[in-house]
Amino acid sequence: MRQAILSGALVCVLLPAAACKIVPNPDPNDQSEALASQTDEARMAAYADANWETKVLPVIAEHRVEYDIWRQALSQGLDAAGEAHGLRPEGEANPWNFVVSGTGTVTEAKLDSRAAKMQVDMDGDGAADVVLQLGPIIRGTAMRDAMPFVVFTDFRDQIEFAKLARAMNERASDGLTRPEGDVMGHTVSFTGVFTLRAAGDTPEVVPVEIEMGAAP
Amino acid sequence: MSITRRLFVSGLAITAVLPTVRAARAQGKGLIAIITPSHDNPFFKAEAVGAEARARELGYETLVLVHDDDPNKQSEMFDTAIARGAVAIICDNAGADASVAPVRRAKEAGIPSFLIDREIKESGIAISQIVSNNYQGAQLGAEEFVALMGEEGPYVELLGREADTNAGIRSAGYHDIIDQYPDLQMVAQQSANWSQTEGYEKMETILQANPGIKGVICGNDTMAMGAWAALEAAGRTDVIVVGFDGSNDVRDSILAGGIKATVLQPAYRQAQLAVEQADEYLRTGSTGQPEKQLMDCVLITPDNAARLETFALADAS
Repeated sequence: MRQAILSGALVCVLLPAAACKIVPNPDPNDQSEALASQTDEARMAAYADANWETKVLPVIAEHRVEYDIWRQALSQGLDAAGEAHGLRPEGEANPWNFVVSGTGTVTEAKLDSRAAKMQVDMDGDGAADVVLQLGPIIRGTAMRDAMPFVVFTDFRDQIEFAKLARAMNERASDGLTRPEGDVMGHTVSFTGVFTLRAAGDTPEVVPVEIEMGAAP
Repeated sequence: MSITRRLFVSGLAITAVLPTVRAARAQGKGLIAIITPSHDNPFFKAEAVGAEARARELGYETLVLVHDDDPNKQSEMFDTAIARGAVAIICDNAGADASVAPVRRAKEAGIPSFLIDREIKESGIAISQIVSNNYQGAQLGAEEFVALMGEEGPYVELLGREADTNAGIRSAGYHDIIDQYPDLQMVAQQSANWSQTEGYEKMETILQANPGIKGVICGNDTMAMGAWAALEAAGRTDVIVVGFDGSNDVRDSILAGGIKATVLQPAYRQAQLAVEQADEYLRTGSTGQPEKQLMDCVLITPDNAARLETFALADAS
């Protein structure tokens, strides 16, 4: 026992020398020192929280476009719609993200899943035009990539950056009043963000706001 | 006047010390060093070939070096590039932490670095870090894997080399999708260090302990090739294997009904883009792009595998 303690103490004495490594000084202007001890998940969740009201929601308000107008723009091609209404990070081959609001009718719903979803018909033809991702598990990185203030260079690596995407998805999902029961045929109004890689793809919207309407 | 003289004198010094480089610079725009892991993996070969071809097109001489994922070797190669008076370094690095120092050394010697495929742990010392969107790509691969598995069954994950950020990020992307399906159970998760041989050996051992496995998801294509060879040798071609990279080997396996899917990283284009940004930077002082850039990956299945060649997907016609 004593030997263990002794050798433990020895290791403590020797380790700093052996594992000598130059690390940059933490920036005293932020809480990075306190934040450094957190896991990536916790730190990115805090980042998403801290910026939600002050930065994320204003971006959404500024770039929001009505679904019909967006659809019209898309008929001119994805890049034309992107130039007119889209957001995307700089760099080659980054897909467009859009902020869209609209009202439609639920044609299909899977609410008892960790990745809850509703399919919504937007033009009254009975076929689903968009998918609303209600979470808590949400696919993709649209929420993150639509934000002009989020720059990959500012993050340690792809792992941290991926955790940020997930934290922002979860923040969006947390803010929703999730519909319950039978929602088939109900109207739903939403505002949300999605990535579109090809004009023919179905938007998989990450809503920041949904409101269920009247029953059929 | 004195500046001109000093330039002339240092020009003389360079001429004396490095006659070969001097000759090269006289004809072109200078020397670009291209440093990658071993060309045994066709992915890295494609990077080197892509970068070299673009550099020559743009009028540069090239120096192609291989660090074999050894940080010490890489460090020496940066010193070689510095000593040879390279105007830029294109590098797929040998470790996120270990590569910070040589990139900084190059910067201090006035040589800009343009990193591809793998990030380093610091920003502000390389000019560009262009990496595949591994998280997005891994999610694509995982979604296909889940569908192929019918959302259920025991599976194995082969991880890449631990020191490499890409190993962690792909695994995170896989699990963000797969873990949503409670009927998919991971029975083994081991690193095969990106290696085909290790992929084969690990798969052999895992298969003995877990004969009931239904699928294997791999952090890269070479490990997928190794795993598939082991499964074939054991007569287990029913096991679903999914890779990551988009190599010609895995393409051929997909077309022959072996491995089921992979995720293409646009490695060839990425290397060319890095050279283009180096050229832009050398001519204008800026690449016009943020330092860290992501490039989206593409799912490869039997539907589009035939259009894949050397880490580039031809347009559908």
